[in-house]
Amino acid sequence: MSGLRSLTAVADWQSWAVLRRNALVFLRNWRTAVIPPAMEPVIFFVAFGIGFGGYIEDLDYRGVDINYATYVAAGLIAYTGFGTPYYEALYSAYVRMFYQKTWDGLLATQVELPSVVWGEILWGAVRGMVNISIVSSVIAVFDLLGIVDVKIQFLVFMPFLGFVAGCAFASFALIFTAIVPAIDHMNYPVFLIGWPLSLVSNTFFPVEPQSPALRALMQVNPVYQLAECARGLLVLGNPGSHLIGLLGTTALFLIPCTLLSVRLTRRRVLGD
Amino acid sequence: MTTAILEARGLTKSYGYKMVVDHLDLSCRPGTVLGLLGPNGAGKTTTLRMLYGFVPPDAGSIHYAGKPFDQARAEAKRSIGVCTQEDSLDYDFTVAQNLLIYASYFRPRVDDLEGRVAELLDRFALAEYADASPHVLSGGFVRRLLIARSIVHRPSILFLDEPTTGLDPSARLDVWELIDSMRTEGLAIVLTTHYMDEAERLSNELLVIHEGRSVAHGEPHRVIDTLLGDHVIVVPRSEPAREEIAAWLQARGAEQVATVLGELRVPVTKEHLVELTARFTEATWQVRPPNLDDLFIALARRNGRFE
Repeated sequence: MSGLRSLTAVADWQSWAVLRRNALVFLRNWRTAVIPPAMEPVIFFVAFGIGFGGYIEDLDYRGVDINYATYVAAGLIAYTGFGTPYYEALYSAYVRMFYQKTWDGLLATQVELPSVVWGEILWGAVRGMVNISIVSSVIAVFDLLGIVDVKIQFLVFMPFLGFVAGCAFASFALIFTAIVPAIDHMNYPVFLIGWPLSLVSNTFFPVEPQSPALRALMQVNPVYQLAECARGLLVLGNPGSHLIGLLGTTALFLIPCTLLSVRLTRRRVLGD
Repeated sequence: MTTAILEARGLTKSYGYKMVVDHLDLSCRPGTVLGLLGPNGAGKTTTLRMLYGFVPPDAGSIHYAGKPFDQARAEAKRSIGVCTQEDSLDYDFTVAQNLLIYASYFRPRVDDLEGRVAELLDRFALAEYADASPHVLSGGFVRRLLIARSIVHRPSILFLDEPTTGLDPSARLDVWELIDSMRTEGLAIVLTTHYMDEAERLSNELLVIHEGRSVAHGEPHRVIDTLLGDHVIVVPRSEPAREEIAAWLQARGAEQVATVLGELRVPVTKEHLVELTARFTEATWQVRPPNLDDLFIALARRNGRFE
């Protein structure tokens, strides 16, 4: 099956059938599936934004003074938008593929492998939307309490930004899902890639590298683009060039990562 | 004769330098069971994976209902039911929901799906578990659900990969009854199994694969006759002349002398049997018709997997 066919499979009904299946399972277990993972960024927000932020002076963000809690609020959108689809596509997809044999059941039907991969990518992105919605609601409450100062009307766009970037993050994670020998090996993509990316991307603190190479590297990092796009909207009401940056880096990740994920999962699942 | 639902010609597949399936032909007609047999590593699984569309063949063709699989793939996959050996039930859903969700993976959609699910729950004796998790099902009922799920979309051909492995004798018989009833209704069935009695009783035709090639094909008794001959003598381990009998038979060309738990099993011709009876008048042995166990042992010995 050609690379182009692997990419266009996103529009096939089979991909959305896989998404629907995962969504139905999620709705059956929504209490355990939503509340604990969505509380993590909220706890981070309270601990870093409010607790730790009390010891930090205001920061200058594109000419506007903002408190640290406001800075972290947008960072948590990016942190959640990255972490949720990334870990969903690492752990949950691995469990469905390896332990539950859900993929084997799907592949015995009219669902083809690229659609299974796309279903997992879309589902990871949807999970990101759900968790970002919860985090955005908490930010709205803190805005009303005067703890942060954001343009509250723009919070409604956050889940959609998260969905776009979430597709890239989930497709990236599926590469590891396809190659790790056992679930314990997930520690490598989690601690060597997930944590650095989610922390050093203008999420919890501004990163201003002197090296041009590092600056260029940051520009192609979709977590950074998501953080800055969210911050631009929430603080200034204008994402600036970061909206284009987010769309560009998403495409830059999504296309090759999806092609590679399909190739690697084909080898792993179908032995071809 | 009815037209074949499945027709494969010259199927060939290699992995690296190893040819796993070597120019294999097979076909399956409505209302018949094709038994696919062979020792471990014979190429059965790879053959099935090519027929499901999991892996493309390196050479050869697959037609479903006369249409090339690679050109009418979606239509062909709509007509295929696959019951894998491994339990791939969706344990996040109830028994009834497993049938409903599985049906959602096919287009055109299943007509009167609710009715179809109720019919299958009833037919496979799963109605009382409809709202329960598959976790509560015994091994036999898990297998029933897997088979029911694989035909929820009313396929024309069903692939059953070792459907009774791990089941107790009673559950095996239940699955046999279900397979037989599906065949009677006109479903074409491709069955792989390691149970020889199962293959003999259920299959209309057998295809024996060895090292990726077809070594025998036809009705079960003809396949056995072709590969093994007329009779098998079984010499118990307590028989003092056991070694002498083995040597005597080998000297007359009997190649497939197998020892199973000390018991000697040798396929022989009618002529050898007459000579043997005259030569070893004091010895004790049994004579029985050859079965597929003998065939498997013979094939495995050829492959160096059974000593």
